[in-house]
Amino acid sequence: MNNSESEYRLEMNGISKSFGIVSVLQDVNLKVKHGEIHALIGENGAGKSTLMKILSGVHQKDNGQVFLNGEEIAPKNTHEGQLLGISVVYQELSLVNDLSVAENIYLHKLGANKFWMNWKKITKDAGDLIKSLGFDINPAARVRDLSIVQKQVVEIAKALSEDTKILVLDEPTTVFDPTDTQKLFDNLLRLKKEGVSIIYISHHLEEIFKIADTVTVLKDGVDTGSKAVSETDTDEVIRMMIGRELKDLYPVRNVEISKEPIFSVENLTAKDTLVNNVSFSVRAGEVLGIAGLGGSGRTETAKLIFGADKKKSGTVTLGGEELNITCPAKAVKHSIGFVSEDRKEEGVFLPLSIGRNISITNFKPISNKFGFIFSEKEKANVIGLIDKLSIKTPSGKVVVKNLSGGNQQKVALAKWLSIDSKVIIIDEPTRGVDVGAKVEIYNLINEVAKKGVGVIVISSDMPEIMGISDRILVMHKGTIFGELPKEEFSEENILRYSIGKSLKSLMFH
Amino acid sequence: MALTIKSQLSSPGGILKFLIKYNTIFIFVLLVVFSAMISDVFFTSINLSNLLKQVSGIGIISIGMLIVILTGGIDLSVGSLVALLAVIFAILINIVVLPVAISLTIVIGFLLGSVSGYLVAYQKMAPFIATLALMTIARGLGFIYSKGSPITFKTPGGEFMADFANNSFLGIPNIAIIFILIVVIAQVLLHYNVFGRLIIAIGSNEEASRLSGIKVNKYKFLVYAISGALAATAAIIVASRTNLGSPNMGMAWELDAIAAVVIGGASLNGGKGSAINTLMGVLILGLIGNILNLLNVPSYPQQVVKGAIIVFAVLLQRFEDK
Repeated sequence: MNNSESEYRLEMNGISKSFGIVSVLQDVNLKVKHGEIHALIGENGAGKSTLMKILSGVHQKDNGQVFLNGEEIAPKNTHEGQLLGISVVYQELSLVNDLSVAENIYLHKLGANKFWMNWKKITKDAGDLIKSLGFDINPAARVRDLSIVQKQVVEIAKALSEDTKILVLDEPTTVFDPTDTQKLFDNLLRLKKEGVSIIYISHHLEEIFKIADTVTVLKDGVDTGSKAVSETDTDEVIRMMIGRELKDLYPVRNVEISKEPIFSVENLTAKDTLVNNVSFSVRAGEVLGIAGLGGSGRTETAKLIFGADKKKSGTVTLGGEELNITCPAKAVKHSIGFVSEDRKEEGVFLPLSIGRNISITNFKPISNKFGFIFSEKEKANVIGLIDKLSIKTPSGKVVVKNLSGGNQQKVALAKWLSIDSKVIIIDEPTRGVDVGAKVEIYNLINEVAKKGVGVIVISSDMPEIMGISDRILVMHKGTIFGELPKEEFSEENILRYSIGKSLKSLMFH
Repeated sequence: MALTIKSQLSSPGGILKFLIKYNTIFIFVLLVVFSAMISDVFFTSINLSNLLKQVSGIGIISIGMLIVILTGGIDLSVGSLVALLAVIFAILINIVVLPVAISLTIVIGFLLGSVSGYLVAYQKMAPFIATLALMTIARGLGFIYSKGSPITFKTPGGEFMADFANNSFLGIPNIAIIFILIVVIAQVLLHYNVFGRLIIAIGSNEEASRLSGIKVNKYKFLVYAISGALAATAAIIVASRTNLGSPNMGMAWELDAIAAVVIGGASLNGGKGSAINTLMGVLILGLIGNILNLLNVPSYPQQVVKGAIIVFAVLLQRFEDK
């Protein structure tokens, strides 16, 4: 209650938050001092972003207390958060594409109390602000025309355009090269000197050891402790991030894996995404896991193989034949399937029936040469797949929107079983799926593998990818950074490769 | 058992649900009953036959509009295309034999529609803009080719078409038969053919369609081309009815076509709609005009009533969605 009494600028005590029945944060504590850079780390889904959204007013906590300078606060929306001096730079950029750089930076102030805008002044101020950060961006340019790096800079400038007391940065360097990162760090150190408290979320441990004073680790919505950076090391932090036991979730697979690869890609490089020089192969009956942090290029690699993104160079070979895949239709023609991580936007047709969703990939067996559909044959095929995948529904006519997440995911998988896929890429097979349905989906993956299909699974869920894969590739900055055979599976090894570090040498074991 | 059904139907909620589910047909039946009650002339064969003749042209382009709207697009060019193609048909019928004139007109309609299709599918232009441009261009070309005045049919082929367009078969006007035929073909294609499956899928989720291996661009291109060909068919019919092709034909028909499709329960976001319901929408719009004419309501108040009916129909559908 008393300003002079509080050692900390920010105290978050015993914060809990659930969405529906899913508990995201349980009794989390975070204490940030004046003029401190405080790193907040944890795996994907550990609750870092949710905690920051509670701080800034996007979400409201269920339990716990937040103190700013010793006074309890509870911002009900981001505007209230901003008035308290809390600025957040989110991972997903939140700029308005059709406005200029200057307009974006001062968006929250536009129309606040004046009828007329002083565009000259706003543009000049924005330009000065960006220059003071050490970057060079035309403040009159439209945000749409900026590169992703420049957008990130504008996002940071926007957060600093007000009287910020607490600055939250969520993975700010994902798109930066080392020079830009260094510029950002210089700025952060300057702000720190000015007394700003900075909460820095990052997967890159080396960054944290470079600039942070304190580190707090979250794991599965619980904080596993805070340490002064000077008193800890990478190994300890990684241990704090992982260290949970594998549950008996993953059914055993008895599949003979072929010697020769059924499918391989060589030096695959994308035209418009970060994917570069990706080479790997998968054998018939094998489940190949692709791990990596968000933004490491896993999904982009899948989309590139599938023809959804444009290729710059590289080759794709299926069963000894080199393929020229320029669009998803060609991939499907060659019996390659792809289950998107974004089920609702890219995976299923929510307003259409289960039957229509399943039939969409292959009308050949259920229609004549003029395209007329034999409804009996279609029905048989649909019912067969509903049974096989144990999709819980009274009939194939039920609209997919009305199914649970797990059953929707099964529908998304079913459409690739109605063509005889030779290779299936499954991006986040069980995101937002309950445990029961998870096991069913794992069983299905096993069954598909047993048929001699090459299965590629992308997953951010570490236990999952270790539980179902025969081999794991780890991506870092758009390329395959390392490969782990089954004997070397561990969260620590995956994490090390994910952040671009080599494995610990064997003599330390 | 019988009791429960009876109580369901007798409860106001049950009836309301039923009416909301079949609202298009309900409005249609209501309008027919109302028309028959207030006018002795309504149920005469001459009036009904006139009504059918009047709606056939707009009806045919409404079917084209429907398939475009099912993919999530819109085609504003159809009214102007009717004018341009009617002029082209009138020119052609005076210089080549009838079958050639008919097929050429339809091919030209298909090609004109392809222009919108190309711009939308391959140049990623917003459908509203691409077809708005074609709308202006087509209207202008209609005036240029006709030099601003109607072109009359002067050949035996023209006479044949005029006879055909104004005669009936088994009491049903020939041109209405063509319209109904197109509705039936569209209904069959939309419901029992892969083509319909795919365009509805594209309208309900374009990205998921692409990632399911559907050649989205090809189908988006195709629906505008088909809409153009149907505009040509409508142009041939309306030109034949009056024995001439005029650049003033089809004025604002694209708006009536959109209204008919929407009254028929289609969603402008795509993915939802049927040919039979669009037929109902066309008939409802036609009926409103017809009954107001019979009641001697001047044309300006008619427009107000038309607008109100569209709002009413769409509001009813919102209940249905819930």
